[in-house]
Amino acid sequence: MKLGFWPAKTKERRATVLAGLILLQGLSALFFVGDVFFDFQDDGHLDNPHLLLESIAAVALIAGVIFLMIELRRLLSRMSDMQTGLDIAHGHMATIVEEFFDEWNLTRAEKDVAIMILKGLDNDAIARVRNTASGTVRAQATSIYAKSQSDGRAQFISLFVEELIAGNERLRTGAEYGPENEVITDHSPDRNLCKEKT
Amino acid sequence: MVAIEQRTSGRASAREVAVWDPLVRLIHWSLALTILLNGAIVEEESKAHEWIGYIALGLVALRLIWALIGPKHARFSAFPPSPARAFRHLRAMVGGEKTVHLSHNPLGALMVYNIWASVIAVGVTGYMMTTITFFGVEWVEEAHEVIFGWLLISVALHVAGVAFDTWWSGVNLVRAMINGRKTIPEGREVQ
Repeated sequence: MKLGFWPAKTKERRATVLAGLILLQGLSALFFVGDVFFDFQDDGHLDNPHLLLESIAAVALIAGVIFLMIELRRLLSRMSDMQTGLDIAHGHMATIVEEFFDEWNLTRAEKDVAIMILKGLDNDAIARVRNTASGTVRAQATSIYAKSQSDGRAQFISLFVEELIAGNERLRTGAEYGPENEVITDHSPDRNLCKEKT
Repeated sequence: MVAIEQRTSGRASAREVAVWDPLVRLIHWSLALTILLNGAIVEEESKAHEWIGYIALGLVALRLIWALIGPKHARFSAFPPSPARAFRHLRAMVGGEKTVHLSHNPLGALMVYNIWASVIAVGVTGYMMTTITFFGVEWVEEAHEVIFGWLLISVALHVAGVAFDTWWSGVNLVRAMINGRKTIPEGREVQ
């Protein structure tokens, strides 16, 4: 499953740039703090404008570093949430596919063929992979469509796409309102809905 | 999050988990570079040696702040300095257990604190040598050198530990510190 619309790479690059900035700015901040400290030791009072400006710069730099750190943490947690969502979707999709196959009483060979149909292989390619005649694959495919009550390849695939889209919708609301476990468990009623459709 | 990863793990043969954020990695390799530069390349008693020392101190300071406000695996709470945990970990390893730790393992955690403390001690004694009060004072110079020696031993142990754990747990730790991800072998318990 390739979900190209997640800009994961861009986010990762952003995180790296942010980390680099934090490093440089953090070291500069410490340099200024050290400089203020030693100037103050030499001089003894804070009222000279040079020292005052330097102190302000030091404070601003430190605040900036803390701010950037918080920003980086937020970005990282967004990236990790996204990954969790994808993991759930991936894992969940596999469960759903398996359950559907079981429910339709597909034979072992039919399950293999069905998975390859889902992956977009045509009958000839499937026959080559499975080392059988393409007539056999055609018969198996017909049996799969009959058992799943779909009238062909396109509708067969759309059964799963539908579930995936509905699943994402649920993930979003589940992630907002409930703890993570509930995201998993509260799928059962919806899945029953889907079974009625098929 | 870990719970969900474990649930999906049954299906995937091996899975990748992002553990080290870019800031942790940058600080790690920068610190390694400063130790290498000051220990082997830059001349002692040069200005550059002093500055690199201050940078090393700054890196540790930043890492400590990050351990307070950073993400989960970078925080102190992910790797508390606990000899008891380290001992339990050691005993579990002797018993043949190959649990994967997402952050530092308990033994590694002790090494982390040891290295940070050593760098701070070397940096502080190094700074003291530049002050008028302590300039030329013998015990300060000796402490600076002895602690740096200890730091080198620690780094060697650290590298050996990484090599051992990579072999033992099957998770390539060096790669994890470069691209940030640990690849966890199938069916392995995760902490």
